[in-house]
Amino acid sequence: MGDTVLSIFAVNIDFDQSHLFFPRIIMCLLLLLFAAIVVLYGRAFFQDIRAGRRRLRFFEEHYDKIRLFGTIAGVIVYFVVMDYVGTLFPNTGLGFLLVSIPFMMFLSFLYVHDLNRRKTVIILLNSTIAPVTAWYILGNLFNITLP
Amino acid sequence: MEFLTLLSPELFLFVIAGVIVGIVFGAIPGMTATMAVAVCLPLTYSLDMVNGLGLLLGLYVGGISGGLVPAILLNIPGTPSSITTTFDGYPMTQRGEGEKALKTGITSSLFGGLLSVFILFFFTPVLSDFAIKFSYIEKFLIILFALSVIASLSKKSMLVGIFSGVLGIWFSLIGTYDISVGGNGETRLMFGFMEYYLESGFSLLPVLIGLFGLGTILEEAEKGVKDEVQSVDGTSLAVRTSKAGKFSFRVFKGQFVNLFRSGLIGTFVGMLPGVGGSAASVLSYTQQKNFSKDPSKLGKGAVEGVIASESANNGLTGGALVPLLSLGIPGDSTTAVLIGAFTLQGLQVGPLFIAENTGIWHSMVIALLAANFVMFLIMFFAIKYIAKVVTVPKYLLYPIIIMMCVVGAYAINYGIMFDVWTLLLFGVLGYVGSKFGIEVAPFIIGFILGKSAEVYFVKSLESFGSLTIFFTKSPIAVFLWILILISVCYSIYSTNKKSSISR
Repeated sequence: MGDTVLSIFAVNIDFDQSHLFFPRIIMCLLLLLFAAIVVLYGRAFFQDIRAGRRRLRFFEEHYDKIRLFGTIAGVIVYFVVMDYVGTLFPNTGLGFLLVSIPFMMFLSFLYVHDLNRRKTVIILLNSTIAPVTAWYILGNLFNITLP
Repeated sequence: MEFLTLLSPELFLFVIAGVIVGIVFGAIPGMTATMAVAVCLPLTYSLDMVNGLGLLLGLYVGGISGGLVPAILLNIPGTPSSITTTFDGYPMTQRGEGEKALKTGITSSLFGGLLSVFILFFFTPVLSDFAIKFSYIEKFLIILFALSVIASLSKKSMLVGIFSGVLGIWFSLIGTYDISVGGNGETRLMFGFMEYYLESGFSLLPVLIGLFGLGTILEEAEKGVKDEVQSVDGTSLAVRTSKAGKFSFRVFKGQFVNLFRSGLIGTFVGMLPGVGGSAASVLSYTQQKNFSKDPSKLGKGAVEGVIASESANNGLTGGALVPLLSLGIPGDSTTAVLIGAFTLQGLQVGPLFIAENTGIWHSMVIALLAANFVMFLIMFFAIKYIAKVVTVPKYLLYPIIIMMCVVGAYAINYGIMFDVWTLLLFGVLGYVGSKFGIEVAPFIIGFILGKSAEVYFVKSLESFGSLTIFFTKSPIAVFLWILILISVCYSIYSTNKKSSISR
């Protein structure tokens, strides 16, 4: 009798498949938790929506489309171009240096409000000095690998 | 006294540099201590362990402390842990007692910080000695306990907290089941074409930098990167001082119990894995409210409120290092990034850390003590200049941060472009996830502990062949189950209490 109770808890793991054992448990757990969240909070959530207390909105109200998507697009272009330029000058970190300067200018001009001459000068200086400093200190003095 | 040879003037220079940069990060709303440590990690690649840690610990202490500046002057918490500082700090500023509030906060920070270092120093070796005897089974249960604690103290609901933690584990399992830990070397949780990139899974650092650096910037970009630094009611920044606003150490008269209790609460909350600074300061603030002689004053500019909040959030710094150095489990998101720094230097944190690296351990404690004193001196005497930092425009800072994130991600594995893409992926995931209520702290802890949890769990089952072993292995295992049970019951109790109040 005792043996049969214990045998319920017995586990035999096939070594060839052992890489899937734990991930499967975790995925089941994720599904269970998700189901539990839906069951417990789902009804109140949809009631709130129907009653107009909650809106199905992903972004904040009046969110800044240009700055948000501009950042994402800018970062993607930054990475792609940096990788490409880096292959033209391998092991010099020049890909990083040459592409970071225009990227930082782009991002600063994207983020700045009420641009004036003083701010323009500061942005141009900042986006030139910062990458050069980082490139020199990290890449040349500290010997850190840069793209 | 072997560690004395590790102490050099350089170490103290790095600590000072770290504290200054940390204060700047902490003082600027939208930039946190975690971000400071993550962004500055690449600087430590070429430093030795002790100097690198000195820099990072300086950043940590400075970052947590800097948050009080905008909290008091502008009613905007510079870091999440200074939320409760705004409750009393800002009313004091409005009364012309800004300087008094700032200096009270700074002194309380020093006290909380030092108290936590002492607890760290005496408590961690004890816990390590105890944890050395742990087998895989107890180690797995410790991780389970950590996750249950994170979940039970999670901001929204226990289920969402657990879900975030388990999701973190899932992401950590992507890659190869490594032969070096007894796996079979097969890849899982991916399609064939991904094998080339993800053979060893996602690297920890790009994930961290993505979540805390890029993710935060995306959130700010959505809000339009507003720069006008103004307090909530529209007045501009200045440390206005009236006669009553002069600071003297007499404000601490009768506040010693408060100072001590808040520091202890902060340290204790810091030890609980995944529970951030805001929980520490909120808890100690409510305690002070309960014990105060005149609770009605709190929230209207009472010195004791600032003391409670600031002593607690600096108590966090030492506390969060306790589980990191004794069990290998980070106490909060900043210490999670510190794990990255240890891995970089090829050091394993866990029960053996102190015994095997006594010199480094002692110099860490010294660096932490030094960081607290440096923080105090800099902030106490240069507070008027630091207050100006709050106005440094974000359109200049954010591009620099993204650039530093790229350096950090690219250099971590000596030049792998995929790590840079990981940074973007997790930046976007962190941003999208927070919209759906996924919590970052449990996610990160799950991600860090996931792989070890797998090895402990699967290997225990392989050798014992039965699930019952997790309950019957040792008295410690039973004790850990009791702790897990308590934390689950506590969270169910507190959820019920919350929902009955809201009804």
